[in-house]
Amino acid sequence: MIDRFIIETDKLRKDYGGVEALRGLNLQVPAGSICGFLGRNGAGKTTAIKVLLGMARPTSGQARVFGLAADRPEASVEIRRRTGFVSDDKDLYDYMTVEGMIRFTAAFFPRWRADLEERYRRQFPLPADRKVKALSHGMRTKLALLLALCRGAELLVLDEPTSGLDPAMTEQVLQALVAHVASEEMTVFFSSHQIAEVDQIADHVAIIDRGRTLVAGALDDLRENFRRIQLVFDGEAPQPRFQAPGVERVRREGRVLTVLSSAGVDPILKEARELNPVSVDVVPVTLREIFLESVRVED
Amino acid sequence: MLWYKSWMETRWRFLIGLAMLTCSACVVVFLYPQMAKLIPLASTLEAKGVLGREIREAGELARDYRGYVWGQWYRQNLPQLGTLFAALLGTGGLLSESSGRGMLFTLSLPASRKRLLGFRAAVGLAEFLVLAFVPSLFIPLLSPAVGETYGLGNVLIHSACQSIAGAVFFSLAFLLSTMFHDLWRPLLITLSLAAALALFEQVFRILSPYNIFRVMSAEVYFRTGQLPWLGLLTCAVASAAMLYGATISIARHDF
Amino acid sequence: MLFRPNPSSGVPIYLQLMEHVKHGIETGALRAGEQLPGIRPLAEELVINPNTVAKAYRELEHEGVIELRHGAGAFVSANAQAKKQTDKLRAGQTIVAAAVERLHERGITGEEMRRLFEAELGRLSRTGGHGD
Repeated sequence: MIDRFIIETDKLRKDYGGVEALRGLNLQVPAGSICGFLGRNGAGKTTAIKVLLGMARPTSGQARVFGLAADRPEASVEIRRRTGFVSDDKDLYDYMTVEGMIRFTAAFFPRWRADLEERYRRQFPLPADRKVKALSHGMRTKLALLLALCRGAELLVLDEPTSGLDPAMTEQVLQALVAHVASEEMTVFFSSHQIAEVDQIADHVAIIDRGRTLVAGALDDLRENFRRIQLVFDGEAPQPRFQAPGVERVRREGRVLTVLSSAGVDPILKEARELNPVSVDVVPVTLREIFLESVRVED
Repeated sequence: MLWYKSWMETRWRFLIGLAMLTCSACVVVFLYPQMAKLIPLASTLEAKGVLGREIREAGELARDYRGYVWGQWYRQNLPQLGTLFAALLGTGGLLSESSGRGMLFTLSLPASRKRLLGFRAAVGLAEFLVLAFVPSLFIPLLSPAVGETYGLGNVLIHSACQSIAGAVFFSLAFLLSTMFHDLWRPLLITLSLAAALALFEQVFRILSPYNIFRVMSAEVYFRTGQLPWLGLLTCAVASAAMLYGATISIARHDF
Repeated sequence: MLFRPNPSSGVPIYLQLMEHVKHGIETGALRAGEQLPGIRPLAEELVINPNTVAKAYRELEHEGVIELRHGAGAFVSANAQAKKQTDKLRAGQTIVAAAVERLHERGITGEEMRRLFEAELGRLSRTGGHGD
């Protein structure tokens, strides 16, 4: 069965003993996309991932992966059979060797790809008989990635895959991901703090804050629809109430009125011109600005 | 491969236990000649109270080799060390794997929590079984060296009782490990309970027949040849219940 | 392919790639009939999403700048040069429309605009800009 959305959550809530980690999260990750999951520290990214993989049970709401209910134990095992996961601390078994970890993991996946294993062992050189506890953070990340990529999985869930890596290694990891997606039928869902890397490889994005989705959609659509409109006035800028849809934020600083729009500019410009500004400027908005503005509104 | 993981995580505890118990068994055998010399002295002792009673009992038992082995090994050394290692082997698992041990990695594998727990329990119990039987086998093996013989049948019966009763402490530590994130609380609670029960058995003789350590040492078998069926059944049921409780506890846990 | 996509510029990467291909055709770096890199190797080399490369190629094909031959790859179309010319003019027209709009907002009349343009063009030819 081919689902439109590989990952789908509906009003997902998760309380950890009084702390509301997720407050009605709505997510939709299309099949075959590379979806970046952006949020501040503590926004709920890791919690959402844990719920999707059956490590934590939702307080209310729905979470589905491959169309299967993530909170049902048997369905969850099936989800994990088809998913590759890398946790944000890249935790593996300290006492096992690299070879041991690979053989241990391969035993769980009948569709283990020996060809990919060979490719990645060469690409990220990993010493076969070194114990995991003796590996550097970068090598542990590469090992964790190898273990996730070789499973023959349809979905990759990565929690901050490049955290703690230097730029060269970050590029290597992103390159491996992009190459993998190019040659396999795969969806990637990765959370990140690094807006630049989401910009680079993602085609879909979901921005979350305080356990809720703020902005989500195809990255190119966001880039085309988000605009900043700057209006300069002769005297003090007015305080208008815009009727047009898509007005995310209006900021007034002296003679300048800045409007952040998420739905194009034409209806807003029409209203704006009626205020008789001295000049009207329309500029595109970067993902970084979209992110910062969105989480600021929440404050 | 889960058995391999459980083995890697418990092997040092197991091997140290095996070494200690084997040494202890060998010492019991080789100490016999000296003990035999001291027997006549024991019955002349005037010591009073619990300690005095202990010493006189030891003297009585050591009149024959079988009694000596039962008194030293099956009533004392094996239950003490065995219970300690039962608790040690039962401790650990998913919750305590939080730091540097790959907890989230394990949870991301396509294995149900029941299966993860099941493998760990099976490996732990198997290791405990080995600790209950193998060192004990050294007694019939080495007894000829001190000019005595010891029946294999006794070993099998006593070690079986040791296993079944000791499994209760294993299961308790196992269950507590699914409730606490640290290693020391399950261990401390289990050993404290064991110590309390052992003390109870020594001090309050009246209630003793129902004490777990009586079942463990199979005293009734030693004295009358009857197996403590009720005690063994109770222990088995208690262990099973606690292990089942562990699966429920872990199934509900949010990581 | 000397192209470094700028992900943070606010311009979608597929548009940047399209611009780069068109610029390559314009400067002669890419000739008519020449083959472009495959989607997968290009995505790997630039470390960008393969869907992005695919989208750029699709749009370029839609505009007639390249041809996607099934099984063979992407090729610069024979009349790409001519296409580039019409595109250039079309782009120029958009710029002029925007400029006229802005001047109009400031209250400058058509006549004044024409005079401004002529003055500017005169200055351009005197200082030797891109002559025709």
